[in-house]
Amino acid sequence: MRYNILIGGEAGQGPNILTQVLGEGLVKNGNHVFYSRNYQSLIRGGHNFNILTFSEEPVLSNDSKIDILVCLDNKTEEIHKKNLKKEGIILKGNDSNMYYAGRIFKLFCLDFKLLENRLKEIGNKFKENLSEAKKGYEEETKTVCKIKKQSEDHIFLNGNQGISEGAVKSNIKFYYAYPMTPATPIMNELASKKDVNVIELENEIAVINAGIGSSIVGKNVMVGTSGGGFDLMTEALSMTGVAEIPIVVYLSQRPGPGTGVATSTSQGDLNLALNFGHGEFFRIVLAPGDPKEAQELTNQAFYLSQKYKTPSIILGDKHLAESFYTIHEKSSFIEIKNKTPLTRYNSYEKDEFGSATENPEIIKKNIEKRNAKAKEIKIESKKFQNYKLFGKKDSKNLIVSWGSTKGAIIDSIKNLNCGFLQILYLEPFSEKIKEEILNKNLILIENNTSSPLSELIAKKTGIFIDDKNKILRYDGNPFFADELKYEIEKRLK
Amino acid sequence: MPINLSTNTKPTWCPGCWNFQILAGVKNFLAKKIKNEEDKKNYAIVTGIGCHAKIFDYINLNGINSLHGRVLPTALGMKIGNPKLNIIGFSGDGDAYAEGMEHLVHAARYNANIKYLVHNNQVFALTVGQPTPVTETGFKDKTTPQGVKLSPINPIKLMLSAGATFVARVYADAKQIEEVLNEAFKHNGFAFIEVIQPCLIFHPDKNYKEKTYFLKDKKHDDKNFEQAMKRAQEFDYLIPTKKTKIPLGIFYREKRKAFEENIK
Repeated sequence: MRYNILIGGEAGQGPNILTQVLGEGLVKNGNHVFYSRNYQSLIRGGHNFNILTFSEEPVLSNDSKIDILVCLDNKTEEIHKKNLKKEGIILKGNDSNMYYAGRIFKLFCLDFKLLENRLKEIGNKFKENLSEAKKGYEEETKTVCKIKKQSEDHIFLNGNQGISEGAVKSNIKFYYAYPMTPATPIMNELASKKDVNVIELENEIAVINAGIGSSIVGKNVMVGTSGGGFDLMTEALSMTGVAEIPIVVYLSQRPGPGTGVATSTSQGDLNLALNFGHGEFFRIVLAPGDPKEAQELTNQAFYLSQKYKTPSIILGDKHLAESFYTIHEKSSFIEIKNKTPLTRYNSYEKDEFGSATENPEIIKKNIEKRNAKAKEIKIESKKFQNYKLFGKKDSKNLIVSWGSTKGAIIDSIKNLNCGFLQILYLEPFSEKIKEEILNKNLILIENNTSSPLSELIAKKTGIFIDDKNKILRYDGNPFFADELKYEIEKRLK
Repeated sequence: MPINLSTNTKPTWCPGCWNFQILAGVKNFLAKKIKNEEDKKNYAIVTGIGCHAKIFDYINLNGINSLHGRVLPTALGMKIGNPKLNIIGFSGDGDAYAEGMEHLVHAARYNANIKYLVHNNQVFALTVGQPTPVTETGFKDKTTPQGVKLSPINPIKLMLSAGATFVARVYADAKQIEEVLNEAFKHNGFAFIEVIQPCLIFHPDKNYKEKTYFLKDKKHDDKNFEQAMKRAQEFDYLIPTKKTKIPLGIFYREKRKAFEENIK
């Protein structure tokens, strides 16, 4: 049974900490929990809501229909009541977030001690929060006691935490950034780590160039931003192509063009990631679909960048960055060895001494050397999982997608006659993908309007996907599993 | 045995270019400063794009010939990545005052221990003569047939206001360059050094040299901010008149914690 709890209120009323506390409590009691955040670009007031979905089975997405509606303010009921299931419950009448934590703990027979300990950890307003939580716990009369197994090895993590963890496992020394939603929380994550320096500079141009500076003196560096900031970085990233400098860039997408929708999600920057910067050079683009993949792909990005002295892009989005997932498998990491000594680097084509050259023979030789390196990267990448297959692998129906749509797809195809191919390595692009998708009824799912993945597949395999078989969402929201299931079913053969 | 800092690359500056003076001054300074071949690894140079940047190819040291305007953030990343590295950054006036202006202002605030020479010839020379933010009003080229209408900025005033801890100006003369680098390397922080450098082709010396005087000869107190500001205002980067005086030397220096001291 999947339960969907929507928690809504004004910014400042604490819907986030309430969702987090509930999520952690449910995970500790052996559930699988997924929650996403929906918020506006403001600090106080407005309407923010989180949807928390949990079950005894793995959960990676939300549904559109709500079982429990938690209203920290009146607006929440007005806006979301239409999505409440017939048998759904509304919890309202109190504006304290921890009051509802108490009620839901009671409702699902969670150990109150867990909540009390967590409130103690939070520290701020402990007495007040505890008394509200107790009040809620006592006032709740219903119980839905189904789940009572203990599980210690489940980890509750969001995508940004996954990327930070992957960077730490890769011995990151410097993270340079200029704050930009939804990449900003990485700064907070890494700032608290021992031996990692988080450095905020005047703009993204300074960020990428300082990153390059630290990289050429032999340090492991990552920079992070969203679309607009990434645009500013691309001149310098192009230089890393000619100067052969390792650097890892986290590009966390939100809707563009322009400022777009600052706090929503999108997969609109795939072509930007594949084609950033002027000139001809090889670009590595890796797209995790959950926090565990975020950990591993970040580590692989460091590995490939260091080994081949080249930039790597980790392409995420707001939905992956800020949603919390229950992780129940350990990630595997490779050791990153930094072998980047300070020599003579050049943004020009250079001779053996590292000085600028205009000699056509040397220029040609340099380019061919870099082309050969691109081939090596393609071979080396085969060490890693470039794509994953889920669902019914023998089915004629095959969904193709990448990045954060993974969760909703996996949850929606559980009882459907179809498979799912998730592409992790967008560049290099595995040659095997062509064999996997040949003669299948391909269904493309992307969180954008121009379906850049279908363009990439056409370019790399010669296989075109029918427009009718493209399920695209471009309103700034992620897919809901129940709605997506309906859309997929219509296209199955 | 003196350290060999020469390279095999044949300079492509115009014959007689004042950049040769800057190159000689830097090399003379480094040849005395660097202890041995091994010690060379502790020094690095960073250049932007423009005539000045060719200096990267004429000094046998590690570093990076970076992008136009990006010398300072690149040097900052290098310095905090390896605080033991002695870094000299080179920029032109286009590099420092146009494309890279935001970095310049913040570099003064960060105060990383980087020595920064701005080859100020008051013109975009390598793109054949367009005006920069420090070109004098009235300057004419093909892009401004009616003459430049804007007033130039005063980088010395700007750097003082931005909180630079070492602000100096020299003329493009090997001896002056060597002397100012000696002083700059005694300073634990960002050293801003502007070099007044004529461009033989597009911005020849407009009687600047004869208008210059040395601050040290006038008992200038380089610990006094107000005095420094006053001296900075003596030259406004316009065509010198009878009254014009161009002060050279160290305008100002103060002690402040260097950026890299905060690194884990």
